[in-house]
Amino acid sequence: MSAAADLPQLLSRTALRDRVAFEQLYRATCAHLLGVAFRILNNRDRAEEVLQEAFMNVWHSASGYNAAMATPMTWLINIVRNKAIDAVRSGRTERASTVALDDEGMDVAADSAHEPQQLLADSLTKVNIDKCMSTLNPSQRQALALAYYRGMVHTDIAEALNAPLGTAKAWVRRGLDKLKDCLVAAGVTP
Amino acid sequence: MNYLLPERLDRLAREYVLGTLTGRARRRFERLLLQAPVATLAVTTWQERFSVLAAGVPVMQPRDAVWAGLEQRLFAPAAAAKGKAAAGPLQWLWDLLSGRALAGALAGVLLCVVVLRLQPGLVGLEPQSDALPASYVGLLVDAGGKPTVLASSRRHGRELTIKLLQPVVIPPGKVAQLWALPKDGSAPFPVAVVPDKGPARLKLNDTSEKLFANVTRLAVSLESAPAQPGDKPSDFVLSGHCVKLW
Repeated sequence: MSAAADLPQLLSRTALRDRVAFEQLYRATCAHLLGVAFRILNNRDRAEEVLQEAFMNVWHSASGYNAAMATPMTWLINIVRNKAIDAVRSGRTERASTVALDDEGMDVAADSAHEPQQLLADSLTKVNIDKCMSTLNPSQRQALALAYYRGMVHTDIAEALNAPLGTAKAWVRRGLDKLKDCLVAAGVTP
Repeated sequence: MNYLLPERLDRLAREYVLGTLTGRARRRFERLLLQAPVATLAVTTWQERFSVLAAGVPVMQPRDAVWAGLEQRLFAPAAAAKGKAAAGPLQWLWDLLSGRALAGALAGVLLCVVVLRLQPGLVGLEPQSDALPASYVGLLVDAGGKPTVLASSRRHGRELTIKLLQPVVIPPGKVAQLWALPKDGSAPFPVAVVPDKGPARLKLNDTSEKLFANVTRLAVSLESAPAQPGDKPSDFVLSGHCVKLW
């Protein structure tokens, strides 16, 4: 994301049907947003489709953005993430009913445990709450990372980490409690 | 169950944003979001918290086709529709075959047939013949949808015949400028100045085939002087479809 871009202004001009502002908004945020979609879908083509769908939404609903409620990037990430999660869930159902496990499925399976953990560690370091989060055990961190970066639900997480469903739910819950405590203590978010 | 107890609301909101709230519980929570601003606030707070987790995600530059596709889908619906439909010699007809466009075109054709039958001389229809000549016809309506100007031209002719179906009010010091609007959405170009009395024959600076082959609409704006090529029109006071009759 370009540091120079004034995202709130670009978004409010987009709401007024300013195509130039819309393109600038896209250029300033697309690489970061594609990164978010790609982590969840693990497929460039599908991630780009989701990014395009998300920006269709942005154009049509930019007037619904409320600057008092969220930063533009939070708003955009949320749109992209929801679309990517929808896509991955519908894709999963489709794959389950057509092929046993294709190459793409294998790729996701191969790095599904490790890579999200690294993303979590990198993100926590960026906002200086890695130390605060260090009291979480590896399973709790993994569960949180799989839910956020992969869009997994509790049953997926239980399966991926080979744990009972109740345990997986507790790991996510504990991870979220801790995340909130750490962010509030660091003054990053309320 | 009271979902609005702060602690319960917070737990639902965070699992909703994370995506781990699923099925019926998710739908119930979405209904709650529509009714309770406090629930929306809880969701927004968690969205903000989770956006911190997106900070470490490596960026990935989308290919140019993503933006090009977005522009195409949002700003060139006509071109996109053309891409989907089977292209063929009757492409121009398919472009017209959509709801209001079709109704407008049919109204224009019908009116044209009636006018031609009653007064064939109007459009320079030589020897008495019921067959429609190869030509372009435009029917312009006012803001209330009332047919106002009928414009027609022979395919290879350099004259445009104008008939006024109701008086056109042209304020002093203004002219009624006729514009052609190309199918590809490019800028309208000026065609001629419409007189306040009809019928009239106006000179075209090329054959109508050359001028109108890619034009799907005609429109009239009020300008302080006749427009020159490259000028931009003011607001249109009349507009309508331009169709090709073979």
